Amino acid sequence: MLADLIQNSLDGVTAGAAYALFALGFTLIFGVLRRANLAYGPAIMFGCYAATWTHLNFGAGLLLLAVITIAGGVLAGAYVERLCFAPHRGGSAIAAMVASFALWMQFEELATIVMPRHLYAFPALYDGPPLELGPFTLRIDGLVMLATAIAACALLWWILYRSRFGLAVRAVIEQPAAASLAGINVPWVLVRVFALASALGGVAGYLVVASHGQITPMLGMWSTLKGLLAMMLGGLGSLPGAVLGGLALGLIEAHSQWFFGPQWRDLIAYLLLFVLLAARVPWMTTRSAS
Amino acid sequence: MSLLGVQDVVTAYGKIEALKGVSLDVAQGSITCLLGPNGAGKTTLMMSIAGILKPKRGRIVFEGQNIAGTPPHAIVAKGVALVPENRLVFPAMTALENLQAGAYQRADRKTVGEDIERLFTRFPRLKERAGQQAGTLSGGEQQMLAVARALMSRPKLLLMDEPSLGLAPLVVEEIFRIVTELHKDGVSIFLVEQNAHMALKVAQHFYLMEQGKVTFSGNPGSLAEDEVIRRAYLGSAQA
Repeated sequence: MLADLIQNSLDGVTAGAAYALFALGFTLIFGVLRRANLAYGPAIMFGCYAATWTHLNFGAGLLLLAVITIAGGVLAGAYVERLCFAPHRGGSAIAAMVASFALWMQFEELATIVMPRHLYAFPALYDGPPLELGPFTLRIDGLVMLATAIAACALLWWILYRSRFGLAVRAVIEQPAAASLAGINVPWVLVRVFALASALGGVAGYLVVASHGQITPMLGMWSTLKGLLAMMLGGLGSLPGAVLGGLALGLIEAHSQWFFGPQWRDLIAYLLLFVLLAARVPWMTTRSAS
Repeated sequence: MSLLGVQDVVTAYGKIEALKGVSLDVAQGSITCLLGPNGAGKTTLMMSIAGILKPKRGRIVFEGQNIAGTPPHAIVAKGVALVPENRLVFPAMTALENLQAGAYQRADRKTVGEDIERLFTRFPRLKERAGQQAGTLSGGEQQMLAVARALMSRPKLLLMDEPSLGLAPLVVEEIFRIVTELHKDGVSIFLVEQNAHMALKVAQHFYLMEQGKVTFSGNPGSLAEDEVIRRAYLGSAQA
């Protein structure tokens, strides 16, 4: 029993590491715009499909595929910002959200037109045996996912708190008008924040696809849902909260799956979010600055 | 010599014109002050000059160049900095980071560091609070920080929107002392103030704005001063 709990927690934390990266990207975009970007996951899917397509046609290696995934995600993210959010800055929040939904459909359609099968294989990150630690097993790709997520968080922290660009991002999050009065080119910062958020999502998307060994067009919706859910669980707009929310979501899913069966896994996570929102827990309803 | 010329500027929020053709001049090396009751359009004018709002019509000429419609960061690059109404410091950033943000366009870290040191001598309270989150500072300290942040871009023209708003009388005097000091250092200042008495003490020239238009201009000490102060507080409609 205890061994099961520990094993589930290990699995949950590795899955949660990817969710945390999705949530961080979501939170960055929400932080600078106060808007939810529904096309966030589909932009990541675009990157993953670009990599799969390259692999099918030219047979690129794992590292090159990672680079293509991230670059594709960054391009798609910047495209979303230019098309959906730049025209509606300071305008209608609903218009921007509906526009991001339209781009979501665009990415999905593009994926199914260029690659019409529902499922494609993606080269596995690692297909050897898992690591055995006494009664516990650890998947190597899970460990890679965890280590990469930690490294990505550290890099993000450095960018935000030690670089000139990070100073601009925090200024825009806290006071967009004052940021432009300080001489910061706010529209240009926004494009780069979308690119940064999509790069984080691209890293997570690549790791997820490579450890599942397959890709479907559902990846877009899946990443948006996981990111949104983790962001909400951790508290809207908080970066440390996004990491905690991602890990919490991973743990909740792993334990629900073990105790109630796989069909309950997602349902319990949504139910929990619903209960927490209905109860108006303070960390979800008050949004923090950064 | 005119440093800033506002020529027939119209700025609207939707269909409502907040500025209905404003013209005025700020002379090189002067303290010029803009008075007027609430809702006269003073803040709208400041936001239009700084590029946050786009004028519908008219020209804003700085150093002989029309800057109307230029984005705000490009206007900062030309040498115009606005200390906005309600200060708008970055609350979760430290006081020091607020100053660094103000120098965002300056690449030379060495001179930026020197400027920060110089501002710390001018505002000793900010030095004490350097590592503290700006949101935890008192109103007066936040106002000093907002002024210092604007100075970090080394402006030729400093726009100040209601720097005395909500501050205790002693702090207001401190702010006006700083305004005169900056002026002595060669910065031209265009000041919006509700506190007409204080403003007229430091300014060389003033404009009175009412309902989106400049209705009066002159030099402090003239006979009309009492009337101007009355209208600055009340507006002519109530007269």
